[in-house]
Amino acid sequence: MHLKMFVLSGAALTLWLTPLSALDKRIGWHKAMQGVSLCAAIACAVKAGNIAYKLSQQGEIETIKERAITADVIDEISTSAYVSQQQRQHEAELILSPVECLERSLSLDCEEPGHLERSTEDKLAARSENPDLEQLERILQLQARGYGKAKIILEVWGVSKGGSPKYKAAEAEYKRLVGE
Amino acid sequence: MKAMYLANYFVAGCIASSLLGWTASLHPMAFKAITFLVATVAVVWTLCWLLDFSISQLLKVSVSDLQAVLVSGLAMLLIGFGVFVCT
Repeated sequence: MHLKMFVLSGAALTLWLTPLSALDKRIGWHKAMQGVSLCAAIACAVKAGNIAYKLSQQGEIETIKERAITADVIDEISTSAYVSQQQRQHEAELILSPVECLERSLSLDCEEPGHLERSTEDKLAARSENPDLEQLERILQLQARGYGKAKIILEVWGVSKGGSPKYKAAEAEYKRLVGE
Repeated sequence: MKAMYLANYFVAGCIASSLLGWTASLHPMAFKAITFLVATVAVVWTLCWLLDFSISQLLKVSVSDLQAVLVSGLAMLLIGFGVFVCT
């Protein structure tokens, strides 16, 4: 397309200037050739202009498309970054909260040195066996996969959505764990 | 690419002016007709140049665009006739 346009532009200039300078205006057929070549030169120039106009329009459309795609990508990246940051923050809070509780318990236990070792071991064992943490971890994993609330409840508690008391209890438990 | 299509239309205008000159050289009557046409265009061009604000509002284009069209039209006419006369 570009080549055609440049060839037509060159042909227009050649057909315009060459016959006027090379041919004699006083000879009849020379004059006729000049007229014909001028008409052809106009046709070439207009055709080249039309092609250039089309290419210019296509270029503008491509530019708009590229801008839209770039904006979409930036938006998607920023959204995913925001979501992952929120998720990490939530996970960090969940990880930190049992430690804080443990530290608080340990500090309380320090007042009774005799029970310190036994009490600490008991609490650590209780934390490791805490089913809430396991459930929460499972919920976060499912949320990361893009599961909704009903599907997570079905996966974790095995209760399908409905007005049953089991489902309501599971939903309340889910809300408590997620912190809604 | 925009410059390219503007340049091509400009060249087309120049060639059309040369063609007018060639037509004028064919016969004395044709010369008179082309002279009359050029005089009419000159009057219209001058009016447009003087009344640029009114004309631009009428045509719903900016004054600078109208002036650019008028100047480029004049340049096309002069270059086209110049090339025809000088060759």
